[in-house]
Amino acid sequence: MAAPVAAEDGLGQDPGFLPDFCSPGVVLGLVLFVALLAIVLVVAGQPAPGALWSTLARTSLFLLWIALTGAAVLCYSRPRLEALGPTQGGLAALAILALVVGVVSAAAWALSAWWAQRTGLLMDTVISGGPGRFVLGNTVVGLIVGGAALRYFYVSQQWRRNVEMEARARIRALQARIRPHFLFNSMNTIASLIPTAPERAEEAIEDLSDLFRASLADAGSMIRLKEELEIARGYERIESLRLGDRLQVEWDVRTLPMRAMIPGLSIQPLIENAIYHGIERLPDGGTVTVRGSRTADQRIEISVQNPVPGHGAPASRSGHHIALENLRQRFAIAFGRDGEVVIDDSGNDYCVRLRFPEKNGVA
Amino acid sequence: MRILIVDDEPPARHRLAALVDALPGFDAVAEAGDGQAAVKAVMSCEPDIVLLDIRMPGMDGIEAARHLAQLPNPPAVIFTTAYDAYALEAFDTQAVGYLLKPVRRRRLAEALEHAVRPTRAQLGALAAARPAPRGHVSVRRGDELHLIPLDDVRYFEADQKYVIVHHEGGEDLIDESLKTLESEHVERFVRAHRSLLVSVRHIASLDKDEAGRPGLRLRGTDERLAISRRHAAEIKRKLKTR
Repeated sequence: MAAPVAAEDGLGQDPGFLPDFCSPGVVLGLVLFVALLAIVLVVAGQPAPGALWSTLARTSLFLLWIALTGAAVLCYSRPRLEALGPTQGGLAALAILALVVGVVSAAAWALSAWWAQRTGLLMDTVISGGPGRFVLGNTVVGLIVGGAALRYFYVSQQWRRNVEMEARARIRALQARIRPHFLFNSMNTIASLIPTAPERAEEAIEDLSDLFRASLADAGSMIRLKEELEIARGYERIESLRLGDRLQVEWDVRTLPMRAMIPGLSIQPLIENAIYHGIERLPDGGTVTVRGSRTADQRIEISVQNPVPGHGAPASRSGHHIALENLRQRFAIAFGRDGEVVIDDSGNDYCVRLRFPEKNGVA
Repeated sequence: MRILIVDDEPPARHRLAALVDALPGFDAVAEAGDGQAAVKAVMSCEPDIVLLDIRMPGMDGIEAARHLAQLPNPPAVIFTTAYDAYALEAFDTQAVGYLLKPVRRRRLAEALEHAVRPTRAQLGALAAARPAPRGHVSVRRGDELHLIPLDDVRYFEADQKYVIVHHEGGEDLIDESLKTLESEHVERFVRAHRSLLVSVRHIASLDKDEAGRPGLRLRGTDERLAISRRHAAEIKRKLKTR
């Protein structure tokens, strides 16, 4: 059960076209990239057999200086570059990069010249050519490599953003799945109760409102187990009015930590499935069992079990797995690998188990 | 006018009954909770109009209506549904009476005034829009309608104009072609011969006689059905996946 979610959830923040050059991950990636680039440059230059290692060491030291200085400058100026937008900001970042390459090259040339003078070594063994040629050449290489790298970052960032937005949209669409039958049947029940049992009609409207409020909440929001169980019980009350004695629900959840957090509308859809695919299709109805326990590794386990029509019954209704798939995605986002949605239909009954770590919310 | 109300949900039945009784000239004479009970109630109470819910456990409303249409003097049927996208499409094209739940007083009065009994073509279109195989075969014995659970049917045998249903309670004639039965119940029945459609779950074994002609032995009966070689392979395959 859920309702159309119209409001923006404010989660889809633009990650920007530049990576965060201050983060350790990006810096490590940069260092690796520089090491590889140094190998490529040195091997492509076909150095004399004896000079390979010293050339490689010099080249990587030089490139590292450029890369780390560049990263530091881009880290510092990233907010302003982002504000300029991808085109202007990208060009500005490239200009900054060229400037860094130029300055570091000039400094390296000056250092080499000073070193050569002090040790009496020939300049040509360290850097060949004059300072102008050296700085200009490096700047051109820096512009090409830097431009390609920036373009790569932009495209990969864009791709990641699309994937994320797609996943979010899918979750929202899935959560927005209301079973029209449930809504109209509930309305019909309420209409039938108004003349005969107005208090129960009132209660049904209150339960229905709670359910809709929960389904209108943010797709990723976490609520306390206590609240989720209350919503599920409200749902049970509405369906009991409709199905009468055919629906029995057995709750065995007293041992659960009520303050643990769970994605909103996790248990209710399981009970909805149990009724829609099980109880409602059995002429004599049946019992849905909700049971709480702990797994061996101290995670919380909640199982919802229901009888299903046997062989020879009319073809099963479709759409069973959409709600479960949705739940799986939300559990993966909320708990990572520790969250599990397990289906067990080996016996006569259909059983879904939720397993998740206990995370307490602020009281 | 006598009205039968069929819905699996008690509150829905109560509300409809109250609405019907409030209309002058209409009486809610009986209620039923599923399709099978509805067919029985129609035969015992002989209502003029049936208000028939579509989605019910066991036999649903559309199957019940298809069985009712076999009666010599069937009642008019008005379907009620909370929301049934496929069926509603068929309703609109076929103009069979239907009401959306919660039912409005005025719409109910109009529908009852104009109640007509749906033709078989209309019911066929409805069934096609929601293609679920029927769970029963309806058999007419005189003026009475009997429902034979499909699980009890051993095989269908084409015999010139009619089809004979061989079931655990005996044999009956029905007015349907082997071809439509085969396409509707393709999951549970297999063609064994030009004029033979056999229930897969009733097959005990597939064997050959002295002359090497293949045949089927059925559970709960000594009968051996001669089958055509052409269909033996398909039957073998179905028995394996059973």
